[in-house]
Amino acid sequence: MRDKFLLAYRSIRERRTRSILTVLGIAVGIAAIVSLMSVGYGMEEAITGELTGMADMISVMPGKITGHAYVELGSFTDRDVKDLQRIGGIKDITAMTYDAAEVEYRNERSPIFIIGGDTKELGIFYVEPVGIKEGRWLRENDFKGCVIGDRVANDFFDEVIHVNDKLIINGEKFIVVGIFEKASTMYASDVDPHIFLTLHASKEALQTNEIKYIMVRVYDIDEAEEIAEEIKEAINDNHGLDDFAFAMTIGSAIEQIGTVFNIIRGLLVGIAAIALVVASIGIMNTMLMSVMERTHEIGVMKAIGAKSSDVLSLFLLESSMVSLVGGVVGCVLGVVAAKVISLVAGTAMGIEFSAVVKPEVLLGGMAVAMVVGVLSGFYPARKASRMSPVEAVRYE
Amino acid sequence: MGDAEVYALHDVNLDIQEGEFIAIIGPSGSGKSTLLNMIGCLDTPTSGAVFIDGIDTGKLSENKLAEIRREKIGFIFQQFNLVHTLNALENVALPMFFAGVKRETRLKRAEELLANVGLGDRIYHKPSEMSGGEQQRVAIARALSNDPEIVIGDEPTGNVDTETGNAIMDILEGLNHEGRTIIVVTHDAEIAARAGRTKRMRDGRVLD
Repeated sequence: MRDKFLLAYRSIRERRTRSILTVLGIAVGIAAIVSLMSVGYGMEEAITGELTGMADMISVMPGKITGHAYVELGSFTDRDVKDLQRIGGIKDITAMTYDAAEVEYRNERSPIFIIGGDTKELGIFYVEPVGIKEGRWLRENDFKGCVIGDRVANDFFDEVIHVNDKLIINGEKFIVVGIFEKASTMYASDVDPHIFLTLHASKEALQTNEIKYIMVRVYDIDEAEEIAEEIKEAINDNHGLDDFAFAMTIGSAIEQIGTVFNIIRGLLVGIAAIALVVASIGIMNTMLMSVMERTHEIGVMKAIGAKSSDVLSLFLLESSMVSLVGGVVGCVLGVVAAKVISLVAGTAMGIEFSAVVKPEVLLGGMAVAMVVGVLSGFYPARKASRMSPVEAVRYE
Repeated sequence: MGDAEVYALHDVNLDIQEGEFIAIIGPSGSGKSTLLNMIGCLDTPTSGAVFIDGIDTGKLSENKLAEIRREKIGFIFQQFNLVHTLNALENVALPMFFAGVKRETRLKRAEELLANVGLGDRIYHKPSEMSGGEQQRVAIARALSNDPEIVIGDEPTGNVDTETGNAIMDILEGLNHEGRTIIVVTHDAEIAARAGRTKRMRDGRVLD
């Protein structure tokens, strides 16, 4: 067996440039699969990983999802919130007002969304996971104080906003008492572009009593779905409508994201598969050329006593060695590419994630390389093994 | 073009005894190479039969024919036909490799065979680094590697100068003295004269 490897290795080395190109062809195909899969897993993990920390949350909104769009049907009432407090298994409830307001800073105006709510509850939902970078969080009696998100402080106005700066919200003066840290992926859209007020202050500033958003935290994640149903029923009863409230557990969101990522991964693998098909045609081409070139050599081997099966196995061994090396190189390239892609894409999209290289993806990549090598080597190898020794020896 | 059949060989009846040294001589196209391929089990006749040790080779399977080529017959070609990616030692060991001989045994025997043809100091050279005469001696050593009873030479001196040709014939003579059957095809009357028996061929037929 060792000698068969040696023989195969010799003829691979004999055609060094072509062999290297063939190896590269396979390597690129495998690298595409490995890197795209790893980046996909990395993204999924970055998103679901954060969501998992929020798996005990249920977000409740006054509206419904039709098709893919959310349609707001109205707002919740204080009675809705009180009713929710009677449902068992709920740890925290925070009711929020939510609306756009005109905000002025140093004579510059900008429309910004305001979130108002119970300071203790909002603190649990946002301050604990995100953190305050400058100043402090709101207190119950901060009627004229506000805390702002990172983008409000840095991006929305020409001049950067600091603690103790003054903002005018819908004509009322507020003092910035704290600024949030830049939030990570999952909280970015909730925290970064918003201004947070106490419930009382927000009702004044927004001139409304409407509750637009309720966040619920449960004790037991396993009960989340059930509790979400109870919440919907309770609120629908109050409003006399069948589907007034929309309550989504983060757990079900994780599942949905998983489904989406499966589709994305499928697409990525499909693209990579095309690369592999091209690579396997490359191997077949290389091996066919090799068979043609070595017709004479095959004839000589047969003349001195090689069986057809000897010739077949020699050529198959050659193509599988080429593809094995291609597979290894492809896995290494794929891992490197995955790291680079996740770094570049992460920076570009402002998401922090790193590629997740799963051993089964690497093993799968190697297996695919071997299968491709053997399959595309088989036809040329069989062709070689079936040559008639007389004709092959005569061939020059 | 009609449907007329063309015979490379026709009405050939040839008996070769064990231990004989026979030369087949004839112009090119006379069918001598075809005859040699039949004897050497590289080809089988469309009609008629070739017997080796009383076995009709036309009735054997591909694998069985390969086995006869490997065990009973040593082939020497005009073009040497060494595997150019392998060195002299590996070329000589190749038939033993296909016969499943153990690596150490194989390399030891290949080394001895090369020493016997006077190439003991060139065993690691590639064919491209050797002269025609040296390559043909490697080819002879290769033909002998599985200790065959029959050695077949298809114009074995056709690609070397006269002196080297004579040296090669010396080796073949020596092999004949060891008791091996030697069958050589040539168009060189001088070479043919060194054989114990000569047969002439023309247009696919064996004359006299």
